[in-house]
Amino acid sequence: MAPKSVNSKWSWLLLVVAAVALLAFGSTRSSGPKTQADRIDAITKVLACPTCQGESVYVSRASAAESIRAEVARQISGGQRSDDEIIGYIEARFGSRVLLVPRSTGLDSLIWILPVFALICAVGTLGFAFRRWRVVGSDSVSDEDAQMVERALREEK
Amino acid sequence: MNEIGNSRSRVAPIIALVVGAVLVGFLWVLVTAKPNTADSADSPLLGQPAPSVVTTTLNDENFALARRKGSWVIFNFFNSTCVPCVAEHPELVAFTKRESTAANPAELYTVINDDNDDSVRAFFSKNGGDWQKIRDTDGAISVAFGVAKVPETWIIDPNGYVRLRIAGKLSTGLLDEQLNLLKKQFGS
Repeated sequence: MAPKSVNSKWSWLLLVVAAVALLAFGSTRSSGPKTQADRIDAITKVLACPTCQGESVYVSRASAAESIRAEVARQISGGQRSDDEIIGYIEARFGSRVLLVPRSTGLDSLIWILPVFALICAVGTLGFAFRRWRVVGSDSVSDEDAQMVERALREEK
Repeated sequence: MNEIGNSRSRVAPIIALVVGAVLVGFLWVLVTAKPNTADSADSPLLGQPAPSVVTTTLNDENFALARRKGSWVIFNFFNSTCVPCVAEHPELVAFTKRESTAANPAELYTVINDDNDDSVRAFFSKNGGDWQKIRDTDGAISVAFGVAKVPETWIIDPNGYVRLRIAGKLSTGLLDEQLNLLKKQFGS
């Protein structure tokens, strides 16, 4: 029979794997067919209003945002382009600054890669530092300290 | 204890060197970056075929950009309530006068951005400018060119390729100067 602590570790690991798998499934599964209005909302929520600060086309009432919303609606009702193609059309006109969620290709991919790289470096550095502190801690009992402990133990007896 | 001290003294300079190199890199980028002093504005459409434009003029005539091939075409995105548009208007009037005597004059079109016909007619009857004004229903032309804010001026060559985008108010003589440069570069 395996020790209790090993079983407990496996249970936690299984729990974490199950949680990650369910989250991945939940975030990527298709929620079924969308209406035209749903598609317009979904697209305009990921497009930035070109004349506003930090507002999406979905939220903004600026003239440029209204024009983009009308174009998205026109292309959806035309039925010729997918959501990604419509976003690509707007990006090809206004440049990548119109995307609220940067692309994961080309130079834009650095936005996704750098934080992960920084996190790995930070965790690695911390791990390295903790390991060294532990080594320093275990080796750092001086003769003087050892004698003090010995004396205290003798006095206690 | 000494070993740990030695390894620390080995690692610390390397880390300091890497951090220092990154900072020097950032500084180098900042120092050597050139300010954008160009008269033209950037656009993914530059050097690309112009978007299809099919609309009507203020006089209810049909307009198709594809049928203007063979001429240099200038689109000026305009709104009668926009202050820089009003301010640059005399420059456009002077430009069309000068261009009318050229061998192959460029065709100037006002693209009406988020404005009504009556306001535009009133503006032009007061301030002059007998070139064509084309409607931009629902901002489709503005989106096709990536125009966010008026005024903007675009130059399209006789083969239908987008050659220049000028964002904001036109300064004196800028349009002539840029058009002449483009004509030399791409042929008139």
